[in-house]
Parts: sequence; C-alpha cells; structure tokens
Amino acid sequence: MSRSLAVVPHLVRMYVRTRLEYRGAMLLAWFAQALSYAATYTAIALLLLRFGNLGGWTWSEMALLLSFHLLAYSLGASLSFTQFRDIEEKVRLGTLDAVLIKPVSPWVYLVFSGLNIGYAGHIILAVGLMAWAVTEVAVDWSILTALYFVAGLLSAAMVTAAIMTMIGATALVWVRSKHLFSIFFGFWELARYPLNIFPVPLQILMLTIAPLGFLAFVPVAVTLGRPVPLLGDWAALTSLLAGPLAVTLGALHWRHCIQNYQGAGG
Amino acid sequence: MRAASYPAFALTAFQSRLVYRNQVWASAFGDLVSIFARIAILTAAFAGAAQVDGITLPEMVTYALLSGPLLYWEYSRVLYDVGDAVRTGDVAVFLLKPLHYPSYLLSTHSGHFAFECVAIVVPVALIVGFTVGLLPPASLFHGLMFFPYWAVSWLILFILACLCGLLAFWLLTAFSLEWFLMAIMSLFSGAIIPLWFLPTPLATLFGYLPFAWISYYPAAVYLGKLDVTATWLHLGIGLFWLTVLSAAVLALWAKARHRLIVQGG
Amino acid sequence: MAIIAASSVEKIFRQPKRQSGFGGALRSLFSREHTEVRAVDGISFAIEGGEAAGYLGPNGAGKSTMIKMMTGILVPSSGTVEVLGREPHSNRITNAAEIGVVFGQRSQLWWDLPVRDSFDLNRHIYDIPASRFADNLARLTSMLDMAGYIDRPVRQLSLGQRMRAEIAMALLHDPKILFLDEPTIGLDVVAKDVVRKFLAEVNRERGTTIILTTHDLVDIEEICPRLIMVDDGKLLFDGELRHLRTALGSRRRLKLEFGTDPGAITLKTAQLVTDEGLAKHFLLESQQTSILDVLTELGSGHDLKDVKLEEPNIEEVIRTFYQNKPALAGARP
Repeated sequence: MSRSLAVVPHLVRMYVRTRLEYRGAMLLAWFAQALSYAATYTAIALLLLRFGNLGGWTWSEMALLLSFHLLAYSLGASLSFTQFRDIEEKVRLGTLDAVLIKPVSPWVYLVFSGLNIGYAGHIILAVGLMAWAVTEVAVDWSILTALYFVAGLLSAAMVTAAIMTMIGATALVWVRSKHLFSIFFGFWELARYPLNIFPVPLQILMLTIAPLGFLAFVPVAVTLGRPVPLLGDWAALTSLLAGPLAVTLGALHWRHCIQNYQGAGG
Repeated sequence: MRAASYPAFALTAFQSRLVYRNQVWASAFGDLVSIFARIAILTAAFAGAAQVDGITLPEMVTYALLSGPLLYWEYSRVLYDVGDAVRTGDVAVFLLKPLHYPSYLLSTHSGHFAFECVAIVVPVALIVGFTVGLLPPASLFHGLMFFPYWAVSWLILFILACLCGLLAFWLLTAFSLEWFLMAIMSLFSGAIIPLWFLPTPLATLFGYLPFAWISYYPAAVYLGKLDVTATWLHLGIGLFWLTVLSAAVLALWAKARHRLIVQGG
Repeated sequence: MAIIAASSVEKIFRQPKRQSGFGGALRSLFSREHTEVRAVDGISFAIEGGEAAGYLGPNGAGKSTMIKMMTGILVPSSGTVEVLGREPHSNRITNAAEIGVVFGQRSQLWWDLPVRDSFDLNRHIYDIPASRFADNLARLTSMLDMAGYIDRPVRQLSLGQRMRAEIAMALLHDPKILFLDEPTIGLDVVAKDVVRKFLAEVNRERGTTIILTTHDLVDIEEICPRLIMVDDGKLLFDGELRHLRTALGSRRRLKLEFGTDPGAITLKTAQLVTDEGLAKHFLLESQQTSILDVLTELGSGHDLKDVKLEEPNIEEVIRTFYQNKPALAGARP
C-alpha cells in the first residue's frame, strides 16, 4: 500500500500533463459545464421567485443546498466518475488487464491516473455560490458549525466516490455497469432538493440503499437547523458516518469484484 | 439509394437498442424516479393552492410528463453521432456511400426515439397515469394540434443537436457543445420551468426563442393554454424557426463537407 | 526448478447467448440464456528458469486466458497455476513486481506523452533504484535503437517503434519472467525481425525467462526452443520445435527424376502421390525409411537422374495437424 501511495503524485502529474495537451478544449468544457449548472440553478431560482419557497426552504437556503450538492459531488466525482464510468470499456478492450499487472493497488492506479481536473468549472461555480449563500442564510456560524459543515462535505464526497467505485467494480463481474449510472443520476438529481418534499418511500431509499440524501440535504439541513425527516436528532451523526461507512462497503465490494474479475471472456 | 431503405435504418436502430436490456431497465427506472421527483417538487411548490397563475396541479403533472420524458428526449446521441463523425473524418465514409447523410441520420435517430417511446416513455406515462393521474387534451382541437407541435418540437431538437455536433468540426470537441446545449435547454425550453411562471419580460422574451417550441408550446397546446388563433399562429412561428435552423444546419454541413473534400477527409 | 507450473488448469467463461431476429432480441429483454465456454481445458506444463517457451494456437485457442492466469489477472476455474513458487492471483502485487508483461494489442504507454515519461512512471511504480534504472534505460535504448524517438509523444510513433518501447518498458525493472501476448501482431517484416532478435538475445544473454503467445510460427522458430501448442483450450504438443515433425508423424516428400519415363512404379517403402512421367513424387510414411531403402527397392536400370528429399514445411505440418486434430487429439505426447 505504501508503494501505491508513493506513486500517487506521479500518476496525477502524468494525467494533468495529458489533459494540458488539450487545454483549449478543457477550458471550454469548464466554462460550458459551469454555465449549464448555472442555467439550471437560475431556473430553480425563478421557480422559487414565483412560489416563495420549496418545502419551507427559501432561495438562499436552496442556494446553499445546491452549492453543497455540486461541491461535494465534484470532489467525489473527480476521484471516481469518469474513471469508473469507463471501466466497462477498459474491461471490454482488455486495457484493465494492463492495470492489473502493475505492482500497485488497481484502485489507486485507476483513480489517480485519471484524477479529473475537468471538474474545476463545477468547483469554481459551487464555491462562488456557496460563498454567497453562507452569508445570506440565517446561521450563527461558530467553529463547531463550520467544522461540521466541512466534515459533512468530506463525508458527502466520500459517499459519491464510494458509490461510483461500487458501480464501476460491478463491471468487473458483469462486464456492463454503465446503465447503473443512469439510476445514480436519477437519485442524484433528487438530492439537490429538500428531502421532506418527497414521498416517504423515496425518503427511505435516499437514506439507505441510494444514500444520496447524505450528499447535500442532511448536512445542509443540520447546518441550517431544519428538521430532517426519519433521522431527527441522529441526522448530524449519521451524515458524518455515511461517508466512512460507504467507503468501507465500497472497498469490500471492489475487493470482491477484483477477486472475481472475468475479463471480457475468451 | 432508394428512399425505401431509410425506414430500414430506423428499424435497425430500434432493434439495436434491444440488446442493451440493462440500459433499458435502468433508463426507465431513472426516468421514473426523476418524474416522480418533479411531481413532488411541483406539489411542494403549489403547497396546497388550488391554482397558481390559472394553472392547477394536475395540469402541471401532465405538463411535467409531456415536457420532460416525451418532448425533451435524449438528444446527446445525435450530437455525438454527428460530432464524432465530423471530428474524426469518419463522415467521409458516408460521403462515399450512395446515401443522403442527413436523411440517414434522421431515420436512424427516429428509430432510437421510437424505441425510447415504447420502452421508456409509455411505461413511465402509464405508471404516472395510474398512480398520480394524467389529464386528457383540453379539447379535440388541442389534442389533434399536439401532433404537428410534437413533430416540430422533435425536429427542432434534432436540428439543434446536429448543429452542435457539426460545430465540433471546428471546435474539435463535442463535449462542451453538449453542455452548452444543455444550458440553453434547462432555461429556455420550459422543461424545468414553464413560461407562465416566469416574470412577464422573461416569459415574453423566451416565448419568441425557438427553444420554447421544444417543451413549452407543445405541452401548453395539449393543456389548452393557447386559444385557437394563438395555436395556429405559434405553429406558424415554430415552422419558421424550424426552417431557419434547418437552413443553418444545411449551410454548416455544406461548409464542413467542402472542407472535408478539399482536405481529403 | 520449475518457475512456472500449471497443473490441470481449467478456465470456464459464462457468456450470454445471443438470440437472433427481432423476436429473439425482444425475448432477451426479459430472459437470457448462457453458454459455457471452456477457454482452457485441463492444461499442465512446467517451465524452468531461463527457458523461452512459445504458446502457439489459432485465435480463440485460450492463449491469452492462460497468460492472464499466469500474470494473476484471472483465477483458474480449477487446477493450479504457480509462478515463482506463488499462486499469482492471491499474490498479485508481489507477483507483478517480479514479472514483466507486454500486450501486443493494448498499449501500456501514455498516448499523449513522450515515451520517456511512461518509463519514468514505471520507475516509481516498480520502485527501481535510480542507478539501476539509468543503466537499464541506457542499455535498452541502445539495444532497441530508441534514442531517436524516446522524447516524442507516443501518438506520433509507428507501431514498430511503439512495440519496441512497450517491450523496453516491461524490462526496466529486471523481471525474472517476461510474458508477451502476441508481441509481433500487426508489425511489418522488419519490425518483427528486430523484436524477435531482441527477445532471443534477452533470453540468451540475461537469462530472462520468456513466455510468449503467438499464432506466427516464425516467432517460435527464432525465439523459443520450446513450443507449447494448444487448440480449443487443449494441449496438443509440448516440446522442442524440431521434435514436432516426429510427434506429428509428418511425412517427407521424395522426388525422383528420370532421363526417360520408366512407366508406372510401385514401391513398398514409399507411396506414389503424383506421376509426371519423368518426375515422380513419393511420400515416405516412416521416419525410419532412408533414401537408400527406397533406392535399393527401386533397383538400377531406370535412368535415374536426380533424387531430392524434402523435409515438410512446418507451417504446412501444423495446418494439417489442426485440420486433422479430432483424430490426433488423443495422441498427444
């Protein structure tokens, strides 16, 4: 493992240099993606302008939720999304074999040889929106709330990376797993709204097997002092535990799938 | 190539999708989750009000289904098809074949769309209809007029996707263009927020841009929110936009083709 | 001591059955049947340190699957594989540090970056001491004539240049065993020759054990004294290439040329295959039969001008071997 970690900076440097070969396209993509999120948020803002609030959440609270959602997702996804979305193709073409013959952890190799700096556009937008929202919402910021907020963010990023890892790992056994990302993004879209507006079965789903409720709603609701359905007083603790728990499960699943890797067959 | 062979492309595209059964189930499930989410969001927004701006909640549920899964279909497949073909020069292969590339694209992607309708939209609509309830068209006239609006909507989105795909020929990346188009769609097409909930100046402006014909107008016509005169008038404007955009695509295609031939692919 | 030992190795894949036609495709939305493919079917062999062995077989014979089991990528369905005294799969990382692997059709180089950068990354991945890395890099660069392109991005290289770089990269950490999966596939004649000569030298000079898969017999002739031949997942032959003819019972061809047409000739020691009048072609059924035996039987007085004995072409031997394999499968050495 120590050798794996020592390789990380070298892998990242190689990948960044590769991306910089096409820096024009990368900058354009940063801008296009940020613009697209900004447009969606504008539409949501306009909806709130007309209706006043959504499930009791005002626009500035929604802005905090949206920015948290985007930031936590981008941090986790830069470690995982493209890497594990493309694993299906790596299995099919056999390029994954070339990773498995290296004396380093294949997870570390895959994640850091593709550490996606393409999320910079997301992150800039999310940080900007968050900076505005934290001053607008009615929260008495203290060291403790700030610490909770940051820890919740990291935990949420861990949830993202762990789920992506699990979906990607599935391709090692099933060959195909890309379709599972469609399901992920279905729930991911819900995760940017207050959980209390959804029917109870969906709330249960979002806090258990599709734990994207922890991606933004739970930590932001705790920070804002708003009630969290189902979890109640446990919300703060569970939101901090969700990340490490997801990572543990993800690691076990990854290990299991690597053990049962079948290649593309033949 | 005989015109009769184009429907065959559509059928092939339709059939090719059956192979990816997991993709079908997952997409249907993803769409189902997202439509129920939109219904929940609208229910929360209405917060018990009988109507807002003259629109009832059941009307909004129907609007959400029409404007989302049905009218705002998965256009990125078209965009990448065109984008990759022109960027890599593979399109030259099509120029060698005795077929009309735009017609080929149109028939192939109508096959994909038909598949998505049958496998995803119809089941999702049935589930929503039985659980939450969907409204019939406001009148026979509006019901019938929905079809030409639907055709215009489909073609405008198809043309816009082709347009962005073709731009990849000069920008060398289709990825950013997909996101630009997504940005435009989420604000201007009415897929997330219908124009009647917007402040008047914005609603007026967006109402004249071609994007509103993708989700907003067809759904509004179905719900009877446009009177007979306005329905005909806006169909005319939609057709005008369709003509303008088609001309733009054909001009761009001619330019790209010229460059391809001059450069030898 | 054997550094690679495979015993009764089997690998079975489950593959979804494709149903034909529209109805079949529609049905497969709801249910899917599987077929079992036996890619490797009861193979055993042992390879000593310093050997060079070629794994030969047509496409789909299970060659790559065997390499993947020896490199720890796949687990055998049954039987055991041991590499350097370890089970490769459960000791994948330790095993990986001591072997080098080249995939002919899948590059391990970073496409957009200079070759040197990929090499340098391997220095960190394999934790190669700086001085040893510098020595190896210098030696491999000169042996494989890479100086001209080592600082160019991989995407600008020819296939031959790239393959040389791939092989060099796999050797930078001085692996004990070098596995190559179809290393000459797609290369032109000159590039193939360079690769073959280099691999033979590495095996001879540095004692690196080489296992390569190929469907090109020349690879075996020039690099590997030992041949392992497989088809349909089964072992057909394991031994030295020059023993293959004997093992396959292939027949030599004898051509007799006469000054005047002697008419029909029938012999016990050789079988007539074509009769062109002045020239007659015979096949020698037995390895023990010598030309002398034939000439003795033929006797004198036939105005015999010339005698030519042809060893069978090895490619041809193997082709007939595969064509007749149902009959021969039981008769493996």
